Amino acid sequence: MKRVITLNVNGTDHPTSVDASQRLIDVLRDDLGLKSVKEGCSTGDCGICAVLVDGKLVNSCLMLAAQCDGRRVTTVEGLADDPTMKRMQGSFIENNAAQCGFCTPAMLMASWDLARHSTDPTNEEIQVAISGILCRCTGYYQIIDSVHEGCKGARR
Amino acid sequence: MSEQVSQLLDSLRAKAEKGELLYIGENVVRVDSLEKVLGSPVYTADLIPKGTVYAKLFHSSIPHGTIKRMELGGAKSYPGVLGVLTSKDILGLNESSAILPDRQLFADPVVRSTGDILGAVIAETLPAATDAAARIKVEYDLLPAIFDPTESLKPGAIKIHPKGNIARQMKIRKGNVDEGFSKSDIVIEKTYRTQFQDAVPLEPEVGLAIPEDGGVKVIGSMQSPHHTQAAVAKVLKLPPEKVRVIQAVTGGAFGPKSDETPYDVCSTAALAAVKFRRPVYCGMDREDSMVMHTKRHPFVISHKTGVTSDGMLVADESRIIGDTGAYASLGVFVIVRATFHTVGAYEVPNVKADSFLVYTNNTYTGSLRGFGGPQAIFAIESQMEELARKLGIDPLEFRLRNMLVPGKKNATSAVMDASCGLPQCVEKVVTSSGYREKSVRYRNQTGSMRRGLGIALLMHGNSLGPEGNDYGAVHVEILSDGTISVGSGLTEYGTGAISGIMQVASSVLGVPLSRFKLERPDTSKHRESGPTVASRVVVIGGNASKQAAEKLRNRLIPVAAQLLKTDDKDVAMADGLAFDRHNPSVTVRWDDIVDEAYRRGVNMKEEGFFMAPAAPWDQEVGQGTPYVQYTWGALIVEVEVDTDTGYYKVVGAHAAYDVGKAVNPGGVLGQIYGGTVQGLGYAMMEELVHKDGVVVNPNLGDYYIPTSMDIPQEFKTFIVEVPGPLGPFGAKIIAEPPIVLPGAAVRNAVLNATGVSVDDLPVTSEKVLMGSRLKQAPMAP
Amino acid sequence: MSTLELYSPTDLNDALRFIEHEDKDVAVIASGTDLMPRMRKRQTSPSVLLDISSFTEDLRYIRQSEGTVRLGALTTVTDLLESPVFYGKLSIIREAAHLFGAPQVRNVATVGGNVCSAASSEDLIPVFMALDARAKLISANGERTVPLKDFIVGKRKTVMKSSEILSEIAFDPPEGHSWTAYEKLGRRNMLIIAMVNEALVLTLEDDLSTIRSARVALNRVSGKIPALASETNKFLAGKPLAPDTISQAQNVLASELTLTDDFRGSGAYRTEIAQVYLKRLLERCSRKLGGP
Repeated sequence: MKRVITLNVNGTDHPTSVDASQRLIDVLRDDLGLKSVKEGCSTGDCGICAVLVDGKLVNSCLMLAAQCDGRRVTTVEGLADDPTMKRMQGSFIENNAAQCGFCTPAMLMASWDLARHSTDPTNEEIQVAISGILCRCTGYYQIIDSVHEGCKGARR
Repeated sequence: MSEQVSQLLDSLRAKAEKGELLYIGENVVRVDSLEKVLGSPVYTADLIPKGTVYAKLFHSSIPHGTIKRMELGGAKSYPGVLGVLTSKDILGLNESSAILPDRQLFADPVVRSTGDILGAVIAETLPAATDAAARIKVEYDLLPAIFDPTESLKPGAIKIHPKGNIARQMKIRKGNVDEGFSKSDIVIEKTYRTQFQDAVPLEPEVGLAIPEDGGVKVIGSMQSPHHTQAAVAKVLKLPPEKVRVIQAVTGGAFGPKSDETPYDVCSTAALAAVKFRRPVYCGMDREDSMVMHTKRHPFVISHKTGVTSDGMLVADESRIIGDTGAYASLGVFVIVRATFHTVGAYEVPNVKADSFLVYTNNTYTGSLRGFGGPQAIFAIESQMEELARKLGIDPLEFRLRNMLVPGKKNATSAVMDASCGLPQCVEKVVTSSGYREKSVRYRNQTGSMRRGLGIALLMHGNSLGPEGNDYGAVHVEILSDGTISVGSGLTEYGTGAISGIMQVASSVLGVPLSRFKLERPDTSKHRESGPTVASRVVVIGGNASKQAAEKLRNRLIPVAAQLLKTDDKDVAMADGLAFDRHNPSVTVRWDDIVDEAYRRGVNMKEEGFFMAPAAPWDQEVGQGTPYVQYTWGALIVEVEVDTDTGYYKVVGAHAAYDVGKAVNPGGVLGQIYGGTVQGLGYAMMEELVHKDGVVVNPNLGDYYIPTSMDIPQEFKTFIVEVPGPLGPFGAKIIAEPPIVLPGAAVRNAVLNATGVSVDDLPVTSEKVLMGSRLKQAPMAP
Repeated sequence: MSTLELYSPTDLNDALRFIEHEDKDVAVIASGTDLMPRMRKRQTSPSVLLDISSFTEDLRYIRQSEGTVRLGALTTVTDLLESPVFYGKLSIIREAAHLFGAPQVRNVATVGGNVCSAASSEDLIPVFMALDARAKLISANGERTVPLKDFIVGKRKTVMKSSEILSEIAFDPPEGHSWTAYEKLGRRNMLIIAMVNEALVLTLEDDLSTIRSARVALNRVSGKIPALASETNKFLAGKPLAPDTISQAQNVLASELTLTDDFRGSGAYRTEIAQVYLKRLLERCSRKLGGP
């Protein structure tokens, strides 16, 4: 039983045919080729699939694609030219925040979201902002350093 | 160019003139960072071509028995299903085992754990394969099952494997413990237990197979492409050259991806690819991974330790039992490392150890960062704490009296040499943590919130040591456009180690890392270099890389000399330039040197090969030099315990590691932070639970790893550099060591805060509270 | 899962008509944060999902009229955190919301979803029970209101009929000298299913030293069912707020709780914690009220 929905992804409308069980992550990865969105646990517990839907950070493995009809979705690919994201990515590179890289896009989405609201977050605010995204490699410290730097000079 | 860049160049050139190391000890950007922050499609699941079909593995639902009947009809007839693979479909050998030949790819007929793979459903889509797999019905004849390794050792216990339940045994006999005990003033006997830990690499195990050319191309997430190649070739009955294995960018590994699971997913994908002539993706989801891949061995370790009343260790006798679950996997080496580290970083004149790697019907265990070290050190460091308390000596003081320093002998009677940096590590953390002042202050606390400090010291034998020949090859090729391409069978999966070995080449050639290109490890291009385990990349790969780069440099020097119109001996190379030491303003660019070298037909490709010296030891008595060098470390952890609930937080951590030479300090810190936090998970909250052989919590909502909210607010790290004899520039390994100490350090800190000894990991709030209820009042230190 | 059907109704009435007549096994889905993982683990296999996530105009609101607070069923946990309503004596809602899951989960998890799951893993249920909240259930044939204490009748079992949807949770702020507090214990600091969570609404008499009423609710009282600790609450009513009362109340609570062991923790430990939290919650509220 398929239906046609329209997702606005990274600024562009994408009409697509989905069945009931397809999740947002499936459409983003398989139909739209947005591989920055990754699947780490399939039960909404790791945050690796996090994207912005209508400006709010959500786990795309828990959302049915059909529930996103008419909504705006943002992934790392869509922010390739965004100055705040570029600054954040540069900061992640300089501070060694990406080890295996699997959590990196999700961390960047959460960090970019934080940077929009704060140019000088405290350690605690950063920790809370990324508290729903698991990282097994870095121990979070170098990510937190990167986010501090990345938020400075970010445009509101 | 800007002032800043110009200054940087000057300092680099100054270093090169003096022959100092370039780029080593600097935080250069890792070569693979850009693709990660861009979210580029470089992981296996991102590379699935059109027309790929999907394999979903299905596993046993019983812990021990034989398969009576498999009803596959419901699966085979499910829409979208191409077929179901079982043992009957294996073209070659039904084998998927790393060391001992005790494990099949698809269990048949004997099933020894609920993690045993029975087969795979192949379908057009993953949802179809998954739904079809749920329709498979298997009937078994049940056999009695064993879940406690001490039960496995009892006479009359059911044999899990034909040869019995002991997969490996080991001994240490140093001195005479009976004499030692008779000379001891105090003897303590205690037993310690550790739990199943799951590695939880954020990317679960996945493989993609594409039929090609009478054979198959396999792309996957793994630590050892050549081992995977051999495994797949065996299952498919193909010559290895017909199985090309490429390691894709791998989202974390920590051990299980160097054991059988990559063989399982890749062999399954390859079998299906060959059978159905379609590309096949075999991916585990988190639940599959947590049920079917190897975990950390739970250990039961008993120590009987004798000390003199002035705090000198005299004798230690340990009985070490490791639960390897249904299959031995890398357990045969885990038990060896655990045994050699049975008395940790201390000198004990008389040591007796008997260790047993034991089969049970739990899901199987194998490699996980630390590889027996965390378990062994948890036991001995906990025992050290108990001894100090019994003696009435401060725990730090007691450790200082007994710790290994240059000249002392460890458990295998290896004499520690000048490269032992343990004292420096201890000094750093003692100062940083304020240990001396705080440990006195914390003896008199009132109120329900109590603080305590815990110490643990590390000796960690470097590289494969007694586990086999330790060698590696690195190819370095200078391309005509000046790019330097580096390839190896050694793999990168987040450690930054491959970047590290490229940094070594970068230093030797005097060319910045930005000109380097990493080739994906590919069995058709790169020599077998052993598994990427045991943190061996920097030491083994770094030396091989250095060798290759030096050979190339020696060929380029004469070319540069001619272009500079000077003698070979006066040529220095730095920052992509060559210059005359006596006349540094005259330079020639790297690209021009490369052009000229190509014009002259210079061989621009080189392979470096390094084999670590043999590590001879006597198997009968466990004495000798199984490791050629050691990494040293010290960790002090401060906890704050809510004594009404037992809940505690680690409020501070102070860690120092002697890494010989930090090739990339930022990378070293990354390993220290990451490894310590993974070790804190092991200490505090991680526990993969089996109930009657079934994994109860194979998902991340029920198995807890630290989040950003669980890390110590204060974490001070110190890199100590006492060069070792083995690694390039004196480097020692760092990837594994930081996970080893937190278990004991946390346990000891909680003990000092509350008087409660928790002797089995993880140290949960329940154990702390219930322990203190039993005790009624804390023990005085 | 690939034979799953999804019905996206055009409006709320359409949704109600659908479940009135549908005889297949229907599950209502809003955020999916509870349902999706359970479906993935094959703990539940509905044939049809009824998607109500788009009815934000009808069902997503936080209103306060004549004192009564009304939360539309689609109110998210983030909405609760960002609302100016839940301060002072209603700060219990912010406390619980703050410890709820993680940012991505708070952004979508709903009040209605929490309550309808009726599971001991749902943090808001004890809070609403302590507040003596009531659930409004609507159907094609009308509506009814059920006090939350009567709403949950078993582990993941409510009194809702298959033709009903929960549309609103309403409660009145406690009157007089009242305060509220919440405690949660899990195996790590955040993003954790609680072993114990406990909520208290305490009302003191004008003398500020006698308990007029105490409503304690926990995620588990008997087995795995969230409920009020009714024996304990009955005991506390009318007693002086003194150490003696508290320790006796702890004993009553211990005998009232019949908690089972599971891999997260033993029943005995959870009972200990519940008692410790009872004392803490009573003392916290008392302090805030200027009591003893």
